[in-house]
Amino acid sequence: MDMDVIARNLHFMLGGLVLTFELAIITLAGGFLVGLILAMGRLSSRAWLYYPATCYVHFFRGLPLILVIFWLYFLSPVVTGRSLEAFYAAIIAFVVFEGAYFAEIIRAGIQSIPKGQAMAAYSTGLTPFQCTRDVILPQALRNMTPALVTQAVIIFQDTSLAYVIGLREFLRRVNLVDAREARSVELYLFAGLLYFTFCSAGSLLSQRLENRRQRNRV
Amino acid sequence: MIEIKNVSLWYDKNHQVLNDISETIQRGQTVVICGPSGSGKSSLLRCINGLEYFQKGDIIVNGVSVQDPDTNIHQLRSNIGMVFQHFELYPHMTAMENITLAPLRVRKKSKNEAEKKAMEILERVGIPEQALKYPAELSGGQKQRVAIARALAMEPKIMLFDEPTSALDPEMIKEVLDVMIDLAGEGMTMVVVTHEMGFAREVAHEIIFMDKGRMIEKGSGHDFFNHPKNERTRQFLSRILI
Repeated sequence: MDMDVIARNLHFMLGGLVLTFELAIITLAGGFLVGLILAMGRLSSRAWLYYPATCYVHFFRGLPLILVIFWLYFLSPVVTGRSLEAFYAAIIAFVVFEGAYFAEIIRAGIQSIPKGQAMAAYSTGLTPFQCTRDVILPQALRNMTPALVTQAVIIFQDTSLAYVIGLREFLRRVNLVDAREARSVELYLFAGLLYFTFCSAGSLLSQRLENRRQRNRV
Repeated sequence: MIEIKNVSLWYDKNHQVLNDISETIQRGQTVVICGPSGSGKSSLLRCINGLEYFQKGDIIVNGVSVQDPDTNIHQLRSNIGMVFQHFELYPHMTAMENITLAPLRVRKKSKNEAEKKAMEILERVGIPEQALKYPAELSGGQKQRVAIARALAMEPKIMLFDEPTSALDPEMIKEVLDVMIDLAGEGMTMVVVTHEMGFAREVAHEIIFMDKGRMIEKGSGHDFFNHPKNERTRQFLSRILI
């Protein structure tokens, strides 16, 4: 074991973490927004909202993420006539893909709120929009926080797939160092340790939130 | 004030919940609806403020048809208060926030104005000291009084009560009924689904007995209790008036 190889390249590899986090955070925010809109569609009684949203969710949940990344990167120039920068291709692919998963989390969260809550809100004259914003969503968000944190952990892991279109995020940089130093065992163990640390911190947080939610049940 | 005309409601083809219900409720009247569970009492109540869609008939509230596509249903509902069996307070808001939400959003009142009014109403229902507590910190009777305050904050012309005391411990029933008796005394138009026959005897101008989606019998408190005409009503009364 040559741990020195890690020390020598630490700065370069950790630099990739910046991009990894950047991808993860933008995906988290964008995916949540897309998911929220899709979830509203999935819960709508209007066919023209329900069917497109439902098709979207089933479509992207039935595809591997790596394929969506390839599509965005290699097919979008064919359609639009311009090539898309790798960073943007990755972001769009992640947001579009994770949005489908967020949609199902948010939908389930909203459906976990008893019907009587909406009835009470409507009975005082609130519109469906006001009822959703002020009464349903705040409670639903609290209920789905553990699932959202879990999804955030998955997204953090998924960002490593951006390497296939040449983005130098953390894993890609480890890979580059390995190509130069030929120290696969040490380097990939190190990469694993790093992913594991961040992800288990996330899982722990999710567990904590879950416990707190159970305690605060009315 | 409320005109129910030949209303029929089906949940699906083979399940008729309301069968040709007609009833007129005058301003200032308190009408009590009783009957066994599944008789359609709560559904009828929800039809009055458009929370339930019925397939046949019409309901006119204050001269406005509930199911007319041109009716602004949100505005109509804002003038009809409703109280539920399981309170349905918003658990993420304090009592005060529960009460002021609709006045702020629907009536566009200022926060100051809404909170001042809310405190007045909380005093009226006897729990001003609970204003800043969350529903989880309140007893059942207090929860239901906050729920009544939430409905009253919109200054409704009509109040609908859907078994308001059925989920309460016996020692808390009175504090809720007292508030309702006060309201009836002040001339509020009320439709109350309840099995509290003492309450019915005291304040109801009319008592309706429903069974299997039909209105079986109606009459003044005196007639209803002393001379029930229908056999089903007699059976029902003998079972709940021990």
